[in-house]
Amino acid sequence: MDERSTIKLNLTQKEIKEAQIRLGREPNETELGMIDVMWSEHCSYKSSRKLLQKLPKEGKKVVVGPGYDSGVVDIGDGDIVAFKVESHNHPSAIEPYNGAATGIGGIIRDILCMNCRPVGLLDSLRFGNLQSSHSKWLFQNVVKGIADYGNCTGIPTIAGEVEFDESFETNCLVNVGCLGFGKLKDLKLGRMDNPGDIIILVGGSTGRDGIHGVTFASRVIGEESELDRPAVQIGDPFVKKLAIEATLEALRTGKVTAVKDLGGGGLTCALSEMSSKGNSGLEIDLNVIHVREGKMTPYEILLSESQERLLFTVIPEGQRKVLEIFERWGLSYSIIGKVTHTGNLVAKYNGRIIVNIPAKLLTNSPLAVRVAKKPKIKSKKSISRPAIPSNISKTIFHLLQTANIASKDIIYRQYDHEVGVRTVLKPGDSDAAVLRLIGKNKAVAIKADCNSVHCFLDPYNGHASAVAEAARNVVATGAEPIAITDCCNFGNPENPNVYWQFRQAINGMSYMLKGLKIPCVGGNVSFYNEDETTGNAVKPSTTIVMLGLIEDLKLITNIALKRTGQSIIMIGKTYSELGGSQYYRLIDFPKGKPPNAVVSRENASIRSIIEAIRNGYLTAAHDCSRGGISITLAEMAIKGNLGLKIDAKLIPRNIKVRIDDLLFSESNARFIVTTPKPLARKVLRLARKNGAPAAIIGEVSSDNYEITWGKKRIAWNSIDQMRETWERAIPEAMVGP
Amino acid sequence: MPSFNVEIIIENKKMARDPEGETITRDLINRGGFQSITNVRTGKYLKLSVKAEKKEEAEHIVREMSNSLRIYNPVVHTCSIRIKSEEL
Repeated sequence: MDERSTIKLNLTQKEIKEAQIRLGREPNETELGMIDVMWSEHCSYKSSRKLLQKLPKEGKKVVVGPGYDSGVVDIGDGDIVAFKVESHNHPSAIEPYNGAATGIGGIIRDILCMNCRPVGLLDSLRFGNLQSSHSKWLFQNVVKGIADYGNCTGIPTIAGEVEFDESFETNCLVNVGCLGFGKLKDLKLGRMDNPGDIIILVGGSTGRDGIHGVTFASRVIGEESELDRPAVQIGDPFVKKLAIEATLEALRTGKVTAVKDLGGGGLTCALSEMSSKGNSGLEIDLNVIHVREGKMTPYEILLSESQERLLFTVIPEGQRKVLEIFERWGLSYSIIGKVTHTGNLVAKYNGRIIVNIPAKLLTNSPLAVRVAKKPKIKSKKSISRPAIPSNISKTIFHLLQTANIASKDIIYRQYDHEVGVRTVLKPGDSDAAVLRLIGKNKAVAIKADCNSVHCFLDPYNGHASAVAEAARNVVATGAEPIAITDCCNFGNPENPNVYWQFRQAINGMSYMLKGLKIPCVGGNVSFYNEDETTGNAVKPSTTIVMLGLIEDLKLITNIALKRTGQSIIMIGKTYSELGGSQYYRLIDFPKGKPPNAVVSRENASIRSIIEAIRNGYLTAAHDCSRGGISITLAEMAIKGNLGLKIDAKLIPRNIKVRIDDLLFSESNARFIVTTPKPLARKVLRLARKNGAPAAIIGEVSSDNYEITWGKKRIAWNSIDQMRETWERAIPEAMVGP
Repeated sequence: MPSFNVEIIIENKKMARDPEGETITRDLINRGGFQSITNVRTGKYLKLSVKAEKKEEAEHIVREMSNSLRIYNPVVHTCSIRIKSEEL
């Protein structure tokens, strides 16, 4: 075979030897290529899987935990929610438009495979600073790629988050998520466990594009990437829409035993995972697969990552009925083989067996031993704290203008966030998006969260905080947090400092999840997010996607101030934790302690809010995080088009907290809520009962934003001016190349 | 200074798919009864007027603009630049 020259293996010598031992013979070129892909970091999680075991997976509502295409939770009455988030960082960094679009395509299929209808998309994006033209280019095209693909498929893009930081200049992070609704009795798991079933490949044709995309994602980006052309795919949302409807209809026949998405690793990955999970084997004929280009080698067919493809297993007597459905929707398909009980993946080409390898050999890669080492912090001379800003009003304006705080309207305006008529709270309305179940009195809340700077300064507390913040965000809408799925984005795990960050991150998340009793039902790990030329890794960032359940539509709460005279209550204590805060980043102050994450504090605040909302006490609720109290209040006022008057002296705080801490510190476990005056005492009583510090700090007024210290005025702004500044910041930064 | 008419055509690379073209072929043209048309490739077309001393200079300016302002991405697109004529 003349393939040897074209295959660039990433396996180590040790891994090749291990493969020979397990197989009991020398693998041929095609088999070696398959092992190479399946044992890559992207498919095998060889560096991360041991640590990921620490995350809690059990819970009363968990139906499907990690290991399948998406996690599934039970929300009562036979209804289930499937949700998943995945990275598409590497393709997006070199072709932002198609990279992001195909990311959306892939995550939709992950939900579809569980026999759930995809009903909402969310995206968590990280770019370099908008002063850079490269970052602007990435930003603009990633957003357009998500918008074009999502809008064409008729699935609303309902939530997300964006962060700007120089560490994402060349390696932007594009994490895409999807959630779907389905019925528990109809749930399907992507496994082949019924020998004799027919295997059908449906959708897009198999081409040479994207061969070895996963090994590409398991390397760092360097000069060569521009030439790695086949690794970038073109998405096809038109075919995707047909595939969604055809798949759901085919599943309704009851003749389909399993469905699996073809993503990274192509046919090899889908086939081996399905048969490995079902303890079965399979036999396929590569000659019958509908290909786009003539003369594709078996290696290319097995490894191609062409888009819009799904693998079905169907009971033999149901074949005709299922194929009729594909034909009616105009989808191409090939009947490629059948499920066996041998445990082996057997592929024939031109009548000859060219692959015969145990499926479990492919799916159980050897673990990679990685070393963790805490990075040495360059000892900077201790510098004293910056002085309290002389004009606090001006500082608040400057904060509203920073890209991380400014309105993200320019992004979500491009997305259709209402198609499907399930959206109750849209992007910008509140801390999390809320989708209702049609015909039911219940809804789910969903939000993606991470603060990369906090995660970098203190990976343990930073990641624990991300979990806590995501929980607070769904709680603020009136939901009870029920499960998370996560997407870890790190540098090169072979670098001990990066691996240390990863270990700390998992430990931190695990601490907070266990404390809040929230299970993790799935996730994705993306390593090698670093620039080869500079050696700079991205700031460690794990996107937490939190799902919450609202059991009565009347309880849904948003962040907008509602009526003058209502009381504004602060729940949770403010500490001097300005390290990595938006305020310190604004004034470029490199020191300070990032926020601590403490389970007992989070539980106290969260229980207080959930109970207050259930009792109907609250008219608005907002999690207090980025930018601190000053920004949280500003957002509530801007959204409600009302003013407020706050006495900062009343804010519950730790002793030795200065006024800049009070207004800008990003401490955890805090909410700001409003309530009609007569109910204020009841809210405080609830907080006290749950052990959360709370106080009435002011009230809603008609026009201006005013903060005092006792009688002394320390900040005074017009709401209209604040809104204008906040809304115009990102559009203005985007002007010019 | 003379002025030149310059065309820029941006297409998906030959080896890359073109879902828009495929959809037009299938759902508009073939369904509309034109079976002899078997393939459509879509792209972006820009027509520019460029002030330059010579043809080569005009082409150079357009090439540099296309690259530095990233009106195409070499990872997925081909960008062809053609000098059509010199305006008088």
